[in-house]
Amino acid sequence: MKVPISWLREYVEWDLPLDDLASQIDVSIAVVAAIEQTGVPDVDGNLGLYRVGRVLEAGKHPNADRLQLCLVDVGEGEPRRIVCGAWNFGAGATVAVALPGAVLPGGMKLERAKLRGEVSDGMILSERELELGPDHSGILVLPDGEPGAPLADVIPLGETLLDLEVTNNRSDLLSVYGVARDLSALLRADLAPMPGTDPERVGEEPVEVEIEDLEGCPRYIGRLFRDVHIGPSPPWLRARLTAAGMRPISNVVDITNYVMLGLGNPLHAFDFSQLAEGRVVVRRARSGEELRTLDGELRTLDADDLVIADAQRAIALAGIMGGEDTEVSESTTSVLVEAANFEPVGIWRSSERMRLRTEGSNRWEKGVDPYLAEPAAALATELLVELTGARWTGHTDVQGELPERPLVPYRPERADEVIGLEVARSDQEDRLTHLGLELEGSSYRVPTWRARDLTREIDLVEEVARFELDRVPFTLPLRREMTGRLSREQRLRRRLEDVLVGLGLSEVITPSLRADDVDPNAITLEEPISIELAVLRTELLPSLIDFAARNVEVGNQRVALFEIAHVYLPRGDELPDEPLHVAGILEGGFPAAKGIADAIYAAFKTTPLVAPAEHRLFHPGKTARTEAGLFGEVHPAALDGSWGAFELDLESLFAVARDPVRYEDVITYPAVRQDLAFSIPEDVPAGDLVDAAEAAAGTELREMRVFDVYRGPQVGEGRKSIAFSVEFQSPERTLSDEDAATLRRRIVDALRERFDAELRSG
Amino acid sequence: MDAKTLESEAMSAISGSATLAELDDARVRYLGRKSELAQALRDVRDRETGMVLNPIRERLEAKVEARRQALERAELDRRLREERVDVTLPGQEYRVGTLHPTTQIRRIVEDAFLGLGYEIIDDREVETVHYNFDQLAFPPAHPTRSPRDTFFIDPERLLRTETSPSQIHTMEAKKPPIYMVSIGRTYRRDEITATRFPIFHQFEGLAVDHGITLADLKGTLLHVMRALFGDDREVRFRTHYFPFTEPSIEPDVSCPNCNFAGCRMCKFTGWIELGGAGMVDPQVFVNVDLDPEEWSGFAFGVGLERSAQLRHDITEIRPFWENDLRVLRQF
Repeated sequence: MKVPISWLREYVEWDLPLDDLASQIDVSIAVVAAIEQTGVPDVDGNLGLYRVGRVLEAGKHPNADRLQLCLVDVGEGEPRRIVCGAWNFGAGATVAVALPGAVLPGGMKLERAKLRGEVSDGMILSERELELGPDHSGILVLPDGEPGAPLADVIPLGETLLDLEVTNNRSDLLSVYGVARDLSALLRADLAPMPGTDPERVGEEPVEVEIEDLEGCPRYIGRLFRDVHIGPSPPWLRARLTAAGMRPISNVVDITNYVMLGLGNPLHAFDFSQLAEGRVVVRRARSGEELRTLDGELRTLDADDLVIADAQRAIALAGIMGGEDTEVSESTTSVLVEAANFEPVGIWRSSERMRLRTEGSNRWEKGVDPYLAEPAAALATELLVELTGARWTGHTDVQGELPERPLVPYRPERADEVIGLEVARSDQEDRLTHLGLELEGSSYRVPTWRARDLTREIDLVEEVARFELDRVPFTLPLRREMTGRLSREQRLRRRLEDVLVGLGLSEVITPSLRADDVDPNAITLEEPISIELAVLRTELLPSLIDFAARNVEVGNQRVALFEIAHVYLPRGDELPDEPLHVAGILEGGFPAAKGIADAIYAAFKTTPLVAPAEHRLFHPGKTARTEAGLFGEVHPAALDGSWGAFELDLESLFAVARDPVRYEDVITYPAVRQDLAFSIPEDVPAGDLVDAAEAAAGTELREMRVFDVYRGPQVGEGRKSIAFSVEFQSPERTLSDEDAATLRRRIVDALRERFDAELRSG
Repeated sequence: MDAKTLESEAMSAISGSATLAELDDARVRYLGRKSELAQALRDVRDRETGMVLNPIRERLEAKVEARRQALERAELDRRLREERVDVTLPGQEYRVGTLHPTTQIRRIVEDAFLGLGYEIIDDREVETVHYNFDQLAFPPAHPTRSPRDTFFIDPERLLRTETSPSQIHTMEAKKPPIYMVSIGRTYRRDEITATRFPIFHQFEGLAVDHGITLADLKGTLLHVMRALFGDDREVRFRTHYFPFTEPSIEPDVSCPNCNFAGCRMCKFTGWIELGGAGMVDPQVFVNVDLDPEEWSGFAFGVGLERSAQLRHDITEIRPFWENDLRVLRQF
C-alpha cells in the first residue's frame, strides 16, 4: 500500500521528521518497505523554478518542422522564448513551465539550451515529465492560473510515499484514512473526520437492485448518475492516483479508485445504459455462464462464483473485475455506481480459481467493513457531482443483516500479564480510544472497521502491546523444571555426523524433491514448481550420485559426500513414514564403501552383519547389505569412475549401537595371540568363518581379524587361503597354553566340518 | 705423578675430547689396562691407597660416560641437522570433511536451547491441512492455504509450510510445562531464484507454562540471537500478524555486519528481520484442550539458511543447495 504523505496529512498532523515517523510506523503499524519520492524534487528552492506560464505567441520553429517556438509569460517583465515539441496548444494556453536551473523529476538539471539554432529559456512540461500521470501525447494544459504563480499552488509537484506492507488481518490499513487512524493512535493526535458528504439528490429515479445471495453480498448501495461528462480527471486527482501506483483512466473510473485508496472500499461504475432493464442482480453464476472481463479475457464461470448481473447476464465478477460490455466509455452519460460489500472467502475462492488478483479482490478477501459502503458512496457522489458535472438522481441501499459491533470484556491487568510490562490504565484506554473503541463499563465496544479482527480480549491486548514494543523488557521464563537434553538418537546422530566428517566426508543437504523416484507409489506433488522438484524421494542415494557428479564436473578433487535426511515412504492415503537415512558416496569403489561402513559401525562400538545383496545403483557383484541398509560399489552406469556408496536407516543403525557400552575387562588377564590360516573353497565368505568360529569358541575368542587372502598353486584350483589374526582372552583368568590350544581346536574342527576348511598354519 | 694431579690431568683430557675417538684415546690413556692408574691400582697393597685411587677411577669412568653421551647427542644433532626439511611443504594428507553450514547453525541453535532447558524435536514434513492450518487457527481465506503458495499432495495433505505444526503435535502429546524447539525442512511454493529456494530449514520454539510473557520471548530470542550472531547483538520487536499468535511480532536483530553504522546487509536500517514470533493465540490452546486462562506461551520461527546467511555474509540462497565442495569446505 503506497500512501502519499500529502494525502495522509489531510487526516492527521505530525511534526517529527519523516524518518523517525517511518521507524515508529515500522514498529507499531506496518513494515515500511520504502520511503519513495516522486515528481519534482523538493530541494533548495527547486519548487520556485516551476511556474505557471501563459503562452503569448506560438509558431513553427524556423529551422525545425516538428518544433514550436513560443513566447511564454512567466510573470517576469519580459516573456521567455521556449522551444517545445508538442502541438496540443496555442497562444493563450496556460501551461506548466520549468525555468533553467530546475531539477527535473529523475534528477536531471534543466539548462538553457540552443535547439536548432534557437535559444530555449525554459521548458514547457508534459504530465509525464512531472510524474503526474502517464500522458505524454502533449504538454499539460492547465485549466487556469496566473502567469508567474508558483506551479505548486496549482498542481501537486512532488510527492513522498510510504510503501507499507500491510498484514492480512488489517484490511482497514489498505486505505489512506485507515493508516491515518492508526497514526493518530501512535502519535495520540487528532484524526480528521472521514471525508465525503452527500450532496443533495436531484431526482427520485428508482434503482433496482436485487440480492439473491445475502451471505455473499450483505450490502449493495447503488447510485444512479445522469448527464455524466466523461473526460480526464483534474491534475490533482491524476497525480494522487499516479503516486499511489494506479493509472488514471477517466474521471469516473479515477473517482472509484480514489475512494478505494482513500477509504478502503472498492467501488465499481457501470454504464447504466448497457444494463438490460436497468436492473442489478447479485447472484451466483450459472454453471458455464460466460463473461468477458475488463482485461479482455472471456471467462467461463463456476456456480460458486458471485456475479453482478443485469436482467439477462453476468456483467461483472463481484468484487474482482468488471465486465467489458458495461464498461464506462467516452460515450457514457449515465452511470450506476456500486458501493457494495462482499464476503471474503467467496471472493478469495473465485479469485484463486481464476488466478485473478486485483486491487479490489485483495481488499475484499481480507474483509471490508460493510458500514464503509455508506461513506464511500458519499465521497464518490460528492466527487462525481463536482468533477463530472453529473446529476445524482437515484439511490438504493439493499442490505441483509449487518454484523453488530462486538462488545469485548477487557481486563487492563491482563495486558500487563501478557506483555510482561505494566502499562498505565489511562495509556491503554487512550490508545484504544484513538483506534475507535469505546469503553462501556469493563468492556470495549469495537468499531465496525475492526469488527473482524478485534473480537477477543487478547486482540485488544495486542492493540495496546504494539505501541509498547520498544519498552518490553528482556526476561526469561521463571521455571521450576529444566530438563532439556539431547535424546539418544540425537546424540548418536551427532556422533555419526562427526565421525563421517572425521573420515573426510563433507555433509551435503540436497532437495527432498526429485524429478522421479524408483518407487512408483512415491508421493507426488499436485502442482510442482518445476519437474525437477516433483516427487518426494524414498531413498537418498540418487541425490548423492547426482551431487557427486556435479562436483566432479566443476573439477573438485577427492569428492566424498554424505547426507542425513528424511525419506518419505508412501503408505497409501495415510501420511508417509519419514525415517531418517544416512547416505554417502566417495571415491575408491567397494573397499571404500566397506571401509566407511565398518567405520560407522565401529563408531557405534559394534560390527555389521554383512551379506551379499543387489541394488540397481550398485555393481551386481560388489554390493552388500547390513541390518540397517546397503553399501557397495556404485554401478559404473550410474556414475563414471570407481565409487563407493552406502545408505543406512538410522533407527536400525542406532538399534544395534552399543550405547552405553558395557565394559569388558581386558587388562587384568593377558591375551593369547595366534595367527591361523585356512584353505577353503572359493565361494565361502570370510565372514561366515568368523561367525562359525565365534559360535564354536564362545566369548573367549575376543577377536578374529582377516589379514591376508591368498590364491595360488599352493592352495589349488577353486580354493583360497585366508589368514586370521586371532586373540583369546578371558575376563576371569589367565588362559593357559592348553586353554588356547583347546579353543583353537574347537575352531579348527568347526570350520573343517562346516566349510571343508583345512588348517594351513598356526 | 701424584693422584690429584693425575685426576685433574685426566679430567681435562676427557672434557677436552672433541670426538668419540679422542674420548676413547683419553679413556685408554687414563683408564686402560696399561694406564698409570690401572697399574697403580694393581699395585695397591694398603687400604688407604685403595680408598684414594678407587674413587678416582669411579669419577673418571663417570666422567667418560657423561662425555660420551654428550658427544653422541651432539653427533646425533649434527646428523639430524643435515636432514632438515622444508617445513612449508604439505604434510601427509589426512582428509577432514565438513558439516554443512545449515547443520552448523542447527547445532548452535540446539545448544543454545539445550542450555535454556528445551527439548529438541525433529518432526514430520508431510502434514495434514488440519495440523498445518486448521489447528493453528489459519483463517479460511489465508493466502498460504492457496496451492499457489503451498505444495499440496491432495486436498488434505501437504508439505508443511513452517515447523509450527510441531506446536500442535507437542501440545497434544503432553501437558505443559512445554519447552521445545522443532528443527527441520519446510516448503513454500517459491520460484527458484538466486535468493529463494522452495525448500528451507526452520527452527520453531514453543514455551507453554504459567505466566509466560512477551518479555520472556524477548529475553529468550536475545539469548539465541547472541548465540548465533555474537554477544553484542540487540533484539527489537515489530508488530506483525500470524494466525496462531496474538500479539504477533517480528523480531529484528541488530546488524552483525555494521552494528548500527548502516550497510548493505541491513539496508541501512541497522536492523535485520529474522522470522516471526508472538504469544500463543488462545484459540490454539483451545484447539488442543488447554485452558488459555491457565496457560500462556510464546512461539517463534526462524530460518536456518537465513541465519547462516547473516552469520557468514552469504547474499544468495543458491550456495546452500549447490553442495559444491568449494563452498562447503569454507565452513
